[in-house]
Amino acid sequence: MNLRLIVIFDILVGKIYVKNSRRGSFLPFLLILFVNTPLFAQMNFSGKPGLLNIPTAIETKSGSLIAGYAYNPVKYSFRRNGIQSESIYYVNLTILSRLDLNLNLMRMNGETRFQDKGIGDRQLDLKYLILKEKKYQPSLALYLSMPFAIDNSFTTNALVATKTFKLSNNFFAEVTGGYGSPVYIKRGDSEKENSNIFSNLKIQNKNTDKRYKYLSGPIGGLNLRYQNKGGVMLEWDSRHFNIGAYGKLFKKWTIQAGVINFDQVTFGTSYALNLKALPKRLKKANENK
Amino acid sequence: MMFLMSPVFAQTEETEAQRKSLWLNYENTTLDPANGKIYYEQRLDRNPLYGLWEMRKSLADNNIHEYLPMFQGIIIGNYKLGSKITAAVPTSEERKTQRIKFLPHPGRYKFDFWIQPAFAAIFGYREQVVQSNTSVLLQTQFYLWQGMVLNAGILFPITNDMDGNPKIIRPAPIFLNQFFAIGKNFVNASAGFFYNDQYGVNVQYRHTDMTTPLSYGLEAGYTGRYFYAKDGIHYSSFNQLLLQADIAYRLARPDVTLKLSGGQYLWQDRGVRVDFIKQFTNVEIGLYAMKTKNGSTAGFNFAIPIPPGKILQGRNARLRTTDQYRFEYSYTRGFQIGERYRTGYQLDQKLRQYHTNYLNSQRE
Repeated sequence: MNLRLIVIFDILVGKIYVKNSRRGSFLPFLLILFVNTPLFAQMNFSGKPGLLNIPTAIETKSGSLIAGYAYNPVKYSFRRNGIQSESIYYVNLTILSRLDLNLNLMRMNGETRFQDKGIGDRQLDLKYLILKEKKYQPSLALYLSMPFAIDNSFTTNALVATKTFKLSNNFFAEVTGGYGSPVYIKRGDSEKENSNIFSNLKIQNKNTDKRYKYLSGPIGGLNLRYQNKGGVMLEWDSRHFNIGAYGKLFKKWTIQAGVINFDQVTFGTSYALNLKALPKRLKKANENK
Repeated sequence: MMFLMSPVFAQTEETEAQRKSLWLNYENTTLDPANGKIYYEQRLDRNPLYGLWEMRKSLADNNIHEYLPMFQGIIIGNYKLGSKITAAVPTSEERKTQRIKFLPHPGRYKFDFWIQPAFAAIFGYREQVVQSNTSVLLQTQFYLWQGMVLNAGILFPITNDMDGNPKIIRPAPIFLNQFFAIGKNFVNASAGFFYNDQYGVNVQYRHTDMTTPLSYGLEAGYTGRYFYAKDGIHYSSFNQLLLQADIAYRLARPDVTLKLSGGQYLWQDRGVRVDFIKQFTNVEIGLYAMKTKNGSTAGFNFAIPIPPGKILQGRNARLRTTDQYRFEYSYTRGFQIGERYRTGYQLDQKLRQYHTNYLNSQRE
């Protein structure tokens, strides 16, 4: 797409206006427009196909590798809630067409106490796509956090369904609903004493032992998107109502921002690679003689 | 039978220049137009599909239909590039042809130098959050005879706060490696100074077919520890016996390899390990879990080429970045669970790159 676009971010109104300079007219979209990329999904703060905080059941293509960053504000932080904001670094790989691996690293911002020192909490999560979306059938995905990490800050054990509705030629509504399990499994040891990652696993309940009860109960949301170029997001993450917007640049780079609980700002960015892509020098070589 | 050292170049000047430049990527090439065969070795890329496709492109001769890629001068298979890539076990005639061409002509290989990074790290000690051992290696190989290579190089240390070894510029792992194939049986035997501070001998055997799902292998190693200090090299006696057996199955749908292995690891640790391996075009990604006497752990690993690949290339010499960098992450540390050392390559990792399911999966 060769349109020259000027993007004006109006912070006061919280909207993004897009001006098409060639036609000279303002298009009051709540999103940024750029080139089309059907391969990669929008990511939530921990690097799962999703909205802001909640995951969705959107299908990602096998071989898609997405790396990104998200900022989680202090009042809604997971580890030291209300004391320190957090930075989350993540990688999401669609290793099989139905299976995603999501590795994330959560670091607390600012000065850390001695007992919190480390490179951060590492967490490995899986997404299994049980149903792929069809004409009348929503996609259905199961998310599971691996229990052997000692500090899983944002355990995601959830079942979600997503259905895409075509509103017009260019506008789509992705509606997601699901349930986040308050129950999770924790390895109850110090990593220095426990040489068996499958031992001493305990069933815990977020509602009784976590200050921030992430994905604990019904969740839902909406992504109103323009083609695959950007969209606005609304969600209920089982505790708060959050809104945000995202846009894609140069096919592979996503920028997003939002407001948690109409209160504090979150933002993030991600970059997508396709591990199945052949190098440029070989694109023309794939001809069957 | 007639052999030509370079193909017949034809057509426009531009495509001819392109073909000539592609042709430089190959070594130990033997064109056999009478039988429609091309024998070659391509060390630039981890993915053999690149070598197959570019060879077809570089050949002006449309009568060549059989491609015989080699590794260390040994033919891996006889490939045909139809609507599906197919593979056959090389005939003894083909192996003999190649042996005759190899032995009197050691100059069929370039002086090949490549840059290889090495990185190991431990995370999470409160006093020092990241402890790492990082170095850059400049490596090369000398082809001694068919299948036999001397690996050597120089190691430039960057960081080391993992062990007490001094940060001195020192020889990179230097060892002999013999690769050997007969029918569907392959052998990888190494002797010398390996990666991860072990020296000694290591032999790997594998039975595999490039078109069927099942393969199995055995590995044995007898090693001791070595390291370089300011006053030279230090050794321990041979005290580590590594014994492994594995069986691997390649599922067609989804295209994944499952591998079950077990035996004795370093430090007399014994146990079993399950690997789940997915090969993408340039990247191999694996997940694993293992249970041994010393504990249980899980993690992931990957193998990637380091860009840009070829840096400088002429007829007789080349400088490149490595075609394969491997990294493994484990959830636990410090318990010596299923640890091992590395030689140049693991036989199963090398051979599964040549499986026709892998090659064909990239054309979908």
